[in-house]
Amino acid sequence: MTVAPVLSRRLKLAGILVALGLIVEALTMFWRHPTAFLVFLFLGALLVVAGVLLYLLTIATYAPSPDGA
Amino acid sequence: MQPATAGFVAIVLVTIALISLLVLRPSLVAARGGRILGFLCLFVLPLLATGLGTAAQVEHSKSTQFCLSCHVMEPYGKSLMVDDAAYVPARHFQNNRVPRDEACFTCHTNYTLFGDAKAKLRGLRHVYVNYIGTIPKQIKLYDPYNNRECLHCHGGARSFEESELHQPIREDLARNTTSCLECHDKIHDVHNLANVKLWKEGKP
Repeated sequence: MTVAPVLSRRLKLAGILVALGLIVEALTMFWRHPTAFLVFLFLGALLVVAGVLLYLLTIATYAPSPDGA
Repeated sequence: MQPATAGFVAIVLVTIALISLLVLRPSLVAARGGRILGFLCLFVLPLLATGLGTAAQVEHSKSTQFCLSCHVMEPYGKSLMVDDAAYVPARHFQNNRVPRDEACFTCHTNYTLFGDAKAKLRGLRHVYVNYIGTIPKQIKLYDPYNNRECLHCHGGARSFEESELHQPIREDLARNTTSCLECHDKIHDVHNLANVKLWKEGKP
């Protein structure tokens, strides 16, 4: 089975955003400093939320073509 | 490693592994199982990880290391090492009357992350001032020191309650109309650190 290129592209982008956000969040765990908390919140969490929203938007607006792709 | 941190790291590793699978083979979402996988690794797990990560970060901010990571706080850390029992914070720190790894938070429980919205905004301002603004020559508490910070340990303790000096003012202490610091007035005294002997050199 295949998926439409648009869906595939958006899912990949959402995945990359979430993964990047989680990596940033994980890196801040090794630095005990107020700035680490801000980086966690305003960079890591923002990337994760952006990825999650893109994913939700993708599945909410995706309309499969009649051939099922 | 704290439980929240360990849980966060475990979820991050699992999520990234699942996301890699989805990014490398997006056709997986064509099947029902793949769609569930997508929902898990692009919605449920990332939000769970971020929630646990926030809890872990908040826990980190209780640590002495966290408070002393800003240059301006270093003298306050050093004051915990003063070799003089008259210094209230030093006496508490050196005799394990406060947990050493959460020494600052134990006596300043309403600061920045743990305070109200106003305190949290002040915390953001502290970070701004630390990097970009002008750090004041003398830093001080925003509000008078609250006796609650002392009484959450000393209140009810026999040595405190039976003290002849405390008994007449016990109600005033509870109401904050008399401050503990009126008598126990040797606190951090960071401006005098050059003239005192230290118990140990180095950071707490």
